[in-house]
Amino acid sequence: MEFTLLGAALTGALGVWLGLRLPGVRSRAEALDRPWDVLVGAAAIGVFSGRLVAMITTGVNPLTNPFDVILVRGGVDTVAASIAALATLAWVFRDDLVTLDIVAPAVLLGLAGWHAGCLWTGSCLGAATGGDWGFTRAESLVARHPTELYAAFALAVLSYVSTRPRTPFVATGLALAAAGAVRAATQTIRPSITGGPMWAYVTAVALGSAVAIAARRWARRAPPVS
Amino acid sequence: MTVGAIAFGLILGGCGGEDVEPAGGALPVTNAGEFEQLLADSESPMVVNLWASWCIPCRSEAPLLTEAHRQLGDEIRFIGVATEDSQVDAEAFVAEFSMTFENYFDRSGEVKGWIGSLGLPTTFFVAPGGEIVSTVFGVIDERRLALEIDELLRR
Repeated sequence: MEFTLLGAALTGALGVWLGLRLPGVRSRAEALDRPWDVLVGAAAIGVFSGRLVAMITTGVNPLTNPFDVILVRGGVDTVAASIAALATLAWVFRDDLVTLDIVAPAVLLGLAGWHAGCLWTGSCLGAATGGDWGFTRAESLVARHPTELYAAFALAVLSYVSTRPRTPFVATGLALAAAGAVRAATQTIRPSITGGPMWAYVTAVALGSAVAIAARRWARRAPPVS
Repeated sequence: MTVGAIAFGLILGGCGGEDVEPAGGALPVTNAGEFEQLLADSESPMVVNLWASWCIPCRSEAPLLTEAHRQLGDEIRFIGVATEDSQVDAEAFVAEFSMTFENYFDRSGEVKGWIGSLGLPTTFFVAPGGEIVSTVFGVIDERRLALEIDELLRR
């Protein structure tokens, strides 16, 4: 892995570490069995799976070109990576799925860190802007949105917001919807050839919102525990 | 069952990759002088990618370059240079990834040395007339490719 990508990964890991220390998360996370290991492990499985899918979909056979797997810069399918990471978390916490509420803010802050890792990889800039806040690259006259920093900031704020709900599964749904919404909103000002998997972002928003709303309704209808 | 399905998919993927017949014949041979002239004569901005069939990272970015050419080929000229390779392997590589943009053959690495590539792959973003605007050493990702092309088109 390139050192710049390693820097971005470490920034993401720092986000997870900080996320587990957020107010409202720390005390609950202490009751879990090694949440740090679980989150970092899920992220690693996600990246590996996403890279494998990216290789297959671009016509590179992992069996005949196994070393291509380490070329993360060559492309990671973010949809596959996200599904694999979420599936890993769901599997680990399968006996008590509501644990996902505890780790959801840390996951969002980890994502924020990954986006902020653009400062290492030099890939923060997005579409051109006429606004005064635009960043200009060396030897360029074009001011650009610091797209990835917008995403990092929004995810950090939403990470904190997702520590607030106490109704089971609302934080999980909120986090999923937030991740999709931030990606969808910033995709329009992100440099892209293919346009990105907008359908997946919209699906995440719809699914996350549905989970959060259903959880709230269920909690209101459920008889109080005596 | 899931593992079986994945393995089956991988085997199918492998079969698909091997069966492709090279298309378009031998790549035109070029040298430093001819290639410099090619860039100087171009009235369009260019993306010049140096690759080789034996270069593992080149395989990772080849589909992206093909897709970029498909999307942006009207605005920008994509030029590939197979360097320090064999004609047969280079042709097979072009066919395997269905590379539809123009590709040249630089057997001895003369073009690679002239243009200033330190290794493979390397991608150069070149203004009309041949001025190299920026260079990306190593595998290029979609975001960087899109950003550099946008910079080139806004000059």
